[in-house]
Amino acid sequence: MPLPPLGGPVYRGGDLFPGWADLNHDETSEERFLERLAAHDERAFNELVQAYEQRVYRLVFRMLGRRDEAEDMAQEVFVQVFKAIGSFRGDSKLGTWIYRIAVNLCKNRIKYLGRRHSSDEEELEPVAERSALDDRKSGAVGETSRPDHVVEGYQIERIVQECMAGIDPDFREVLVLRDVEDLSYEELCEVTGLPDGTVKSRLHRARAMLKAAVEARLGEKIR
Amino acid sequence: MSDLPETKATEGDDDDRLRSLVRGALRGEGEAPDVLTGFQKKVRERSGGKFYAEGWSTSRNPPEFTYLVTGLLMLVALVVIYLFLSLLSGKPSRVDNEAAPVNVVAPAAR
Repeated sequence: MPLPPLGGPVYRGGDLFPGWADLNHDETSEERFLERLAAHDERAFNELVQAYEQRVYRLVFRMLGRRDEAEDMAQEVFVQVFKAIGSFRGDSKLGTWIYRIAVNLCKNRIKYLGRRHSSDEEELEPVAERSALDDRKSGAVGETSRPDHVVEGYQIERIVQECMAGIDPDFREVLVLRDVEDLSYEELCEVTGLPDGTVKSRLHRARAMLKAAVEARLGEKIR
Repeated sequence: MSDLPETKATEGDDDDRLRSLVRGALRGEGEAPDVLTGFQKKVRERSGGKFYAEGWSTSRNPPEFTYLVTGLLMLVALVVIYLFLSLLSGKPSRVDNEAAPVNVVAPAAR
């Protein structure tokens, strides 16, 4: 994680964020950057937030499924990082640590929202700009989408989103991190704090639960 | 037992299909909103104004242009002051150090 250049797109993460690790790596500057963070240097935090805001926002949005909640939650993640940076010992990568904070905050928020029964306001993404799901269903790319297939695709996406929202946060967590965020099993273990076997079995169960829920709603098997 | 590999392959295919469905359903997130400003505001409020209280610390990018202009202005100011002080300063007056006259007085006779 090298120090960011002045004014540039700044701080780069480690393996958790593929493509960032191959940029200039300088342990001394990394240490210096962490020292600045620990000293609550405002500029260092600005750089940190700018470097991670996109990924953190995407993660919390996928976990919560609501834009307004996601924006607030992404800010809250960095506030927690600001408050807890003194306890970061460097045992894991900074990116992993931030992801862990984000995931834990999201799980708490989901439970809170669940108690308030407000999950019926799901708004994952308006489907207007989506490409056809029939491509996804058939595996064909580049085909012209038939309107009825497009509509059917949107409906299936909606069903998947709703079924995801209904899954327990502990299971949703591993599904999002593995199947959407593409984290490796090692990274998954670091973020969740669970052993490898538990992560794999939880992922297996999460997929089975989602598959059953989606198929129950569709009334047919996922093909 | 003979159909085990096939079953495993089917499960793998199912996982892939489900994965692609999940990915498709959750992929739309758009651009992140301005997280930095909200973060700074929250920290400022919760710290009672201890952090992110002044303008430069809350800007999204370091004000490099401001740094440059300030640096140049300081340099110009130093040059002007130097020139001004050089005009004020006079040349040091020459000091002629002549040997002081020495009168040797003969000792008085006893």
